[in-house]
Amino acid sequence: MTAPALTASGTAPLPAGGATLPRAVHAEWIKLWSVRSTGWSVAAMVALGAGLTTLVCALVAPDLAAGQEGEPVGAFITWGLLFAQVTAVVLGALTVTGEYGTGMIRATLAANPRRGTVLVAKALVLTGTLFVAGVVTATLGWLGGNAFLSAEGIGISLGDDGMLRSLFGSGLYMAGLGLFAMAAGLLLRSTAAVVSVVLALVFLVGNLVVLLPGALGEWLTKLMPGNAGSRIATPESFNPLLLEPWTGFAVFAAEVAVLLAVAAVVFSRRDA
Amino acid sequence: MCQAPPHWQPLAHVLLAFPPPGGDPVIVASGLTKRFGDRVAVDGVSFTVRPGRVTGFLGPNGAGKSTTMRMVIGLDRPTSGTVTVDGARYADSPAPLRAVGALLEARALHPGRTARAHLRWMAASNGIPAARVEEVLDLVGLEAVAGQRVGRFSLGMGQRLGIAAALLGDPPVVVLDEPVNGLDPEGIRWVRTLARDLATEGRTVLVSSHLMAEMALTADHLVVIGRGRILADCSTAEFIAEHAASFVKVRTPQPGQLADLLRRSGADVTRDGDELHVHGVDAAATGELAAGAGLVLHELGLVTSSLEEAFMTLTAGSVEFAAARPAEVTR
Repeated sequence: MTAPALTASGTAPLPAGGATLPRAVHAEWIKLWSVRSTGWSVAAMVALGAGLTTLVCALVAPDLAAGQEGEPVGAFITWGLLFAQVTAVVLGALTVTGEYGTGMIRATLAANPRRGTVLVAKALVLTGTLFVAGVVTATLGWLGGNAFLSAEGIGISLGDDGMLRSLFGSGLYMAGLGLFAMAAGLLLRSTAAVVSVVLALVFLVGNLVVLLPGALGEWLTKLMPGNAGSRIATPESFNPLLLEPWTGFAVFAAEVAVLLAVAAVVFSRRDA
Repeated sequence: MCQAPPHWQPLAHVLLAFPPPGGDPVIVASGLTKRFGDRVAVDGVSFTVRPGRVTGFLGPNGAGKSTTMRMVIGLDRPTSGTVTVDGARYADSPAPLRAVGALLEARALHPGRTARAHLRWMAASNGIPAARVEEVLDLVGLEAVAGQRVGRFSLGMGQRLGIAAALLGDPPVVVLDEPVNGLDPEGIRWVRTLARDLATEGRTVLVSSHLMAEMALTADHLVVIGRGRILADCSTAEFIAEHAASFVKVRTPQPGQLADLLRRSGADVTRDGDELHVHGVDAAATGELAAGAGLVLHELGLVTSSLEEAFMTLTAGSVEFAAARPAEVTR
């Protein structure tokens, strides 16, 4: 490398600028899409979500049509999201743990020391991305799965009860879950810890609390984040205990908001 | 904190004849203290950094340099005290990257991102045109590898990218923490020239190092820190004059006579057999005095202890992790 002949000031004076929220959003957008893990996570979400929905519909369509399954048809049409949600957790966690793990967080906060702005920008970019990815995944799964269901005469059209809501609800749930993981990431600062804790909460604890006696078990089942939030993403549910879609989502949104508020306080006070 | 030089010192004299420019303080630290649990990393530090010259922030590893620099740009919150840049806290700057450019750690980078993408998000965050990214890539000599992921970069390339990031906003204040770490000799000279050029352009430049010799070549002014406290704050020339003692060594068969002669002309003389150590009178004057009195000299020379030794002496009580026998290390 030879010594450069340029001056530090460059060829032209820089136009005026400021570290505004729209610019923070633009910066976070560039950050998100300039690492490979984002592309992989989104591709995995679409492949898992749409692929598994299509697969399960293909497998159960004949039995469902014959009335032998005993399960509601609408519970299968977004079934793949059960697995696709793992990628939302990973992407949400990486948004912040990727920065703490590499030291990048220092560059981020040097570029914009207003931590609230950084947090809002990260949240907007993450939720926007996950909402679109969630809707696309659910829609592709519905198209794929419905092909098999329609062939058996039990197809679900967009106009059917809860179908359109489920497609957009998938986006909402993915965005909320990603935000939940991001908040956990701000508190724990480790990708492995966040992914383990959030997935254990959603998959294990969410399904085990029902074993607690009586109304306690029932209510905890209703209120666990994964249970409360995911009902909006499916026209019908396997679990009759769950809250109504929008009621459940409101509970889930409140839980995300509380965790995010705690994370925001910790983030704004902690040394980077 | 540096007193007047106790002994006349040729190098210091030359340097003091051309005092570097220094306007009103731009970085002002006042009573800056940072505790981590019960460990005090920075202990009531006050200093100022002025524009138009390179200020060296010198201290052994663990002395509190990096913590102080992190507090300058608001990454660490001071336990007490304040630090301002141009009269305001860094966090209140409307466009921080245009106010202060900082190289904090070589690896404040995501290894999976390309050099260009790293600079592009930074530029976007402060409304800096994307064309400026290419300019600073050229400036640090990374244009050929701009599309490579920084995880593959050597330590030196990482440092160059960090310096490019610091210069991105064309800031009037540049803060570089250990910028020569990992650089080859050519890279070290490049950083040295860059720091001096930035100061010549009127910018405020603060460069930290644990290498005294490097600072002596780069900095006009020194702030020396050890165990979280300021040990010296003076021009490099004054620091050299005060701490890197030099003396005239002279051997003569008539040491008593020569010693009397030298003392009468104001020198401070110590005698060891036929050898005299003369402070305050230079070698030429010593020789002329001896010749004038018809005294025979067997040896006449200037002995200068190194800056590194001076720095070791000054910070001896303040090294965080001293080797078992530090005296042997300096030899």
